[in-house]
Amino acid sequence: MLHEFAIADTCFLIDWARYRRRDILFKLFKTVFVPEAVLREVVSENTISWISRWLAKGGLALYTEDPSEIEEARKLVEKSRRIPHIIPVDLPEALCLIIGKRRNYIVLTENRGALMAVDFLEEVNNVTVWRSLEILVKAIEKEILSIDCNDPEKILKEYMNDTLHIFPRRDYNRVVRWMHELCQRRK
Amino acid sequence: MSAEKMSKKIQKWIELEEEAKRIRRVMADWNFIEKQPPRIKEALKYYVEKGDIRRASLLAGMNVEEFRELLRKAKIPVIV
Repeated sequence: MLHEFAIADTCFLIDWARYRRRDILFKLFKTVFVPEAVLREVVSENTISWISRWLAKGGLALYTEDPSEIEEARKLVEKSRRIPHIIPVDLPEALCLIIGKRRNYIVLTENRGALMAVDFLEEVNNVTVWRSLEILVKAIEKEILSIDCNDPEKILKEYMNDTLHIFPRRDYNRVVRWMHELCQRRK
Repeated sequence: MSAEKMSKKIQKWIELEEEAKRIRRVMADWNFIEKQPPRIKEALKYYVEKGDIRRASLLAGMNVEEFRELLRKAKIPVIV
């Protein structure tokens, strides 16, 4: 097992739950925490059904935020709103960042505000943040997902088709190059 | 953080956001968007321009997940 704990925000869960290989998450992490504030935002049958199944199995666990975490998250939200040109982080994502920082959990997010916060705010710049792209890369590295070397991009395209989520071109090309190199080494 | 480092980071995000905006504009189903009630239409247009799902869903008066589903119907990708 690569990592023990992660914490997921709303933007991550609502896309990831649509991915055909969504259960690989639990081969990468022992437990993925879902804050109560995040769970309250999930409304679709598909996402709720996937979350409740994995809450029952133990792959997902509910995280109850404490008042000091909420207060620190609020300060992060306020600070992010003072920086021009960036998308501000909002409370549910800020909470995940603060919990990730305090407990050394990997934060799973697809939220630009959260990604920008890690880049700009010193309070959370040591937090490890993974998008679905990083999860797919780790799953390939750990051979949880296997690359079809006749069509290495298939893994990324499957995710993008299932979710209508597109990876930035620079990141996509970097991962595709890495997968081609991996195929060359495996020959 | 030094002003120079901050400026480089801001520039990186501006470039990423310009690329994302271009893709959202091209892929969006504008017929679908134009047929929506005014509040929804403006929220979708805001998302195409800004890529900020929280403020867009607030403008639409919708929950984030409901708004994400609407983005799929409007063929507007999330680019992260």
